[in-house]
Amino acid sequence: MNLVRMLAVGTWLHVKQLSRSPFEIATSILIPLVQATLAVYLFRASPQPQALLGAAVGAGLMGVWSSVLFGSGGAIQRHRWEGTLEVLLLAPRRPALVILPFTFATAVTGAYSIMATLLWGRLLYGIRLTFADPVGFVVAVPVCVLSLGMFGLLLASTFVLMRNANALTNALEYPIWLLSGMLIPITALPGWTGPIAAVLPTTWGSRAVRAAATGGDVWPLLAVCLAISLVCLVLGALALSYVERRARVAATLALS
Amino acid sequence: MLRLIGVGGVIAYRALFNWTTPAMFVGTLLVGPVFQLLFFAFLGRQLGVGSDHFYIVGNAVFASATACVYGGVMAVANERRFGTLGHVLLSPRSRTAIFLGRALPYAANGLLVAAITLLGGVLVLGLSVPGSALPGLLLAFAAGSVSSAFFGLALGAVGLRLRDVWLISNVAVALMLLLTAVNVPAAALPEWIRAVGSFVPITHAAEAARRLAAEGSPADSLAPLGVELVVGVAYAGLAAVLLRIFEAESRRRASLDTL
Repeated sequence: MNLVRMLAVGTWLHVKQLSRSPFEIATSILIPLVQATLAVYLFRASPQPQALLGAAVGAGLMGVWSSVLFGSGGAIQRHRWEGTLEVLLLAPRRPALVILPFTFATAVTGAYSIMATLLWGRLLYGIRLTFADPVGFVVAVPVCVLSLGMFGLLLASTFVLMRNANALTNALEYPIWLLSGMLIPITALPGWTGPIAAVLPTTWGSRAVRAAATGGDVWPLLAVCLAISLVCLVLGALALSYVERRARVAATLALS
Repeated sequence: MLRLIGVGGVIAYRALFNWTTPAMFVGTLLVGPVFQLLFFAFLGRQLGVGSDHFYIVGNAVFASATACVYGGVMAVANERRFGTLGHVLLSPRSRTAIFLGRALPYAANGLLVAAITLLGGVLVLGLSVPGSALPGLLLAFAAGSVSSAFFGLALGAVGLRLRDVWLISNVAVALMLLLTAVNVPAAALPEWIRAVGSFVPITHAAEAARRLAAEGSPADSLAPLGVELVVGVAYAGLAAVLLRIFEAESRRRASLDTL
């Protein structure tokens, strides 16, 4: 119970911090709205009729990923700049448990993106918010957000060790959008990308949310997403303990 | 004056980039844009909108813009972040010349990024670009890079007044993706977006580059290239004015180094 409370309180604290940052709000809301607008015009320009709801949901999911990707790394870098990273990692809890609330919080604030793009689509472009499986959608979005938070932990482990992990984050935004089929079906990509996409929780999470919105079997997709995310959580926890030890040995924890 | 602009700009560029590493350069400026290009090219294929040629050339130009806008912002904002802005503003030389000179190495950097993104797109998606079009394409990339760098400098000047200039630059770059029609055919965009886009850097450079890559006559691309240069000069002027105003304002309010 203490563990659940710690994660919940930690996540809430970081959500509140992120929600007061104009930069985070812009990243989570304004930029996904621009991407949603772009997607709507592209979908409308298509000679075949396209489900515009898919464009709004896809752009929202892209926003969640951007938030997790930049947020997880950004949080650690921010604590490093502020000189609080050592204090955090001195806590008598495992490093993974200290860092996990950051990554959950970035995923939760990323969820603003989905709400913003859906609302934007409804108000500006008259997209009808008729979900094929409304219950599935209501469950799939938080599960997808939670899963991305766990995936974020695996990413965050690299930020403790690498001083220039931004290079990794800047290069990872579009590949994950592409490979996970957030806006483009995976079938439209070359066959060799299939195995890579299959091991990403983002792929299954996006497919589940899109299936709930536009039609398809949500639950098996959601189960696979959750299973892969749990593997990411375990790998992330192990990696974080390892890199934290290495950062202490090499005295690179506080180096920015 | 030329030495101040040229040598000063190169030294400042090296100093700011010395804080980073080759991995950062490759990841942010080379790998990221190629994946952006692939994302839009595959999206276009799936939707049946535009050709590979449309997305490769458009995203190559946009890659230069991203590098240049952030570079222009960094030229001003990082001076403040690293605590060296006061020293620059103490210089007895023209600060307008100093800062305009700062933008030029970033424009050269943008040219390199655009060329590599184009090469990446050509290799992965198999676009053939006629050799005769290359000089014109480089000219279009250069024009787009210069106007984007000055646009970035104007945003960086706003950073002398605001605390979080990265918020503005991130939103500006995201808006450029929509307004410049690099990833949506202009005909599919509403009139008002096209009208606003005509004042945004790279809109005309992308149009010129597309005409050149489609084996059009170089004369066809002269008009958009000319307009792109006018847009660039206008942003250079705006940056110079904003830098003067906000420098004076920062001195008056003693907020020069406030982060």
